[in-house]
Amino acid sequence: MTALYFNTTREDHRIAWLAALAITLHIVESALPSPIPGVKPGLANIITIIALIQFGWSTAAWVNLLRVLVGSVLIGSFLSPTFILSLAGALSSILVLRLASWLPGRGFGPIGYSVLAALAHMAGQFYTAYLLFIPHAALFHLLPVLMTAAVIFGIISGYIAHLILGYGSRPLAH
Amino acid sequence: MTRADRVVVILAVALLPFLYMTYWGPSQQGDALRVMVNGKETMTVSLHADKHITVHGSLGDSVIDVDQGKARFISSPCRGKQCVHTGWLGQGGEFAACLPNRVSIAVIAEEQRYDSIVF
Amino acid sequence: MTFPDKTPRGWILLLMLLFLNACDIQQAQLHQQQFLLFGTLVDISLWSDDKQKTENAIAQITTDLEKMHNEWHAWHDSPLTRLNKALAAGQPGTVPPSMIPLLQKSIALSNASDGLFNPAIGRLINLWGFQQDDAPSNTPPDAARIQDLTTAQPKMQDLVLAHDQLTSRNPNVQLDFGAIAKGYAVDLAIEKLRALGIHNAIINAGGNLRAIGKHGDRPWRIGIRNPRGPGVLASIEARGDESMLTSGDYERFFEYQGKRYHHIIDPRTGYPARGFTSVTVIYPDAATADAASTALFVAGPQHWRDIAKKMGLQYIMIVDDKGHVTMTPAMAERVRFELNPAPNFSIVALP
Repeated sequence: MTALYFNTTREDHRIAWLAALAITLHIVESALPSPIPGVKPGLANIITIIALIQFGWSTAAWVNLLRVLVGSVLIGSFLSPTFILSLAGALSSILVLRLASWLPGRGFGPIGYSVLAALAHMAGQFYTAYLLFIPHAALFHLLPVLMTAAVIFGIISGYIAHLILGYGSRPLAH
Repeated sequence: MTRADRVVVILAVALLPFLYMTYWGPSQQGDALRVMVNGKETMTVSLHADKHITVHGSLGDSVIDVDQGKARFISSPCRGKQCVHTGWLGQGGEFAACLPNRVSIAVIAEEQRYDSIVF
Repeated sequence: MTFPDKTPRGWILLLMLLFLNACDIQQAQLHQQQFLLFGTLVDISLWSDDKQKTENAIAQITTDLEKMHNEWHAWHDSPLTRLNKALAAGQPGTVPPSMIPLLQKSIALSNASDGLFNPAIGRLINLWGFQQDDAPSNTPPDAARIQDLTTAQPKMQDLVLAHDQLTSRNPNVQLDFGAIAKGYAVDLAIEKLRALGIHNAIINAGGNLRAIGKHGDRPWRIGIRNPRGPGVLASIEARGDESMLTSGDYERFFEYQGKRYHHIIDPRTGYPARGFTSVTVIYPDAATADAASTALFVAGPQHWRDIAKKMGLQYIMIVDDKGHVTMTPAMAERVRFELNPAPNFSIVALP
């Protein structure tokens, strides 16, 4: 029997490292009680934003996806409705971040990206829930509250990311 | 904070009131049922909690069923049973009445879809 | 981070204004109340920011409506029943002042509708059991009796009015203003509201509706009930000052051996009119709309267009006994179906 070797690059290591961080945060967060089901502070998003700013969009996208996939396997919610919603949210925010990263000039900072990602994430989750699980008009009653939470947590996450990034450009992974 | 950041934050926060206005605004789906006996309001109940209500009118008891945001007369001591035949009421402004028993029910929503219904 | 300093205070002010707007302060101006009056549910909506004026107005019109109901009552002891007794005995009867215009209007409308709107058939209505507070019995009356009363042909043209004295050439005439009284009462109530300075209101007495003005800055939205089933069939926005009325076979009826016998009696046959389940008419005054919707209902599929033309009607919507909707072109423009799926409909112009 021969051993299997994967040629891993520096980028792969980086992604793995970041993803591990994000997944940890994700799991910790899922254990926290939430006043409204499905509304989480999105702390793992901080990692995504840092990855985006330090290493570019594709790293950030991978980190986000891995976070959702692996996180759900570890929590035990793989392929469950929760997973589908998380995935929808992650895909939406990845897409929006891609579009946002094309903004010319100084572009966005961590707070801007974070808010955009949070809004996209919440919108993606909400509409998926509406289309697939709860096609009731009454669901929209929750939307204003969910979006408010998204904006607040988006700003907070962004600020935290800013603080972390602000301490020089010390690389987070090697 | 770049300028783009500021714009995003301000726009995001400005979006919120619109969301509240739109989705928390007047709902057309009935929220409550006003029950009247002898032309006077006796009670107002929420349409969002399923229940049966027994109302004492001048002929006897009318029973009203509240189910899934709608209401109707299930039984009434009148002969014609017009009230029962009216069926389910769900939208603001809709109502049914048992005139012999002097009992009537009307759906109230914050903003009525119809100001009045010709029946 | 220099966020707080740079945020223009103007933005915060704007946000606050947006929130305040969301409260919709306008709600305080709509006053809606329902009463059991005139033997039916009367629903009054007033748009006014003067609460005192509103309450006063509602008190006045509810008193008026109750008074009219008692005066024109077709079976409880009233000036009308006393009048009818005199007519049946071949004697002249006294018409109370409040009833004279109602009587004159009824005669005019009866003529205009070729007698299809006929308030003189009180005896037939009584025979069918619709002149009582409770629902009628569940069997049709004896066919021979119906025949007798029908061939007697009581009509408004049999009446002669001299001042306040009314005589009848036909002792079978018994007045029952059921097909016009509510509409007429609503007209009077609206006039009263105007006199009291209220120009935006709806009065709906058991489906006899007249609307004036608007709901704030939007028109009043009126729903037409679905004749066979729950909910609303269609909605219409009121324009300025108009009445909307529906005559239906679902208001007062009984069923016997699978057939429905309702309160809109055809004076020509003595039996409930067949062919339609509901007729909706829009017309400026409610009394005419009331009489017209009855007349069209009686006219049935064959003759409604002719009667409509004779009476000068423009806005008509009819639902027949198969659920098919027919509308005049003018009505079709204004109606918005609220049923899902929308009903089959056709547009038929008047001759």
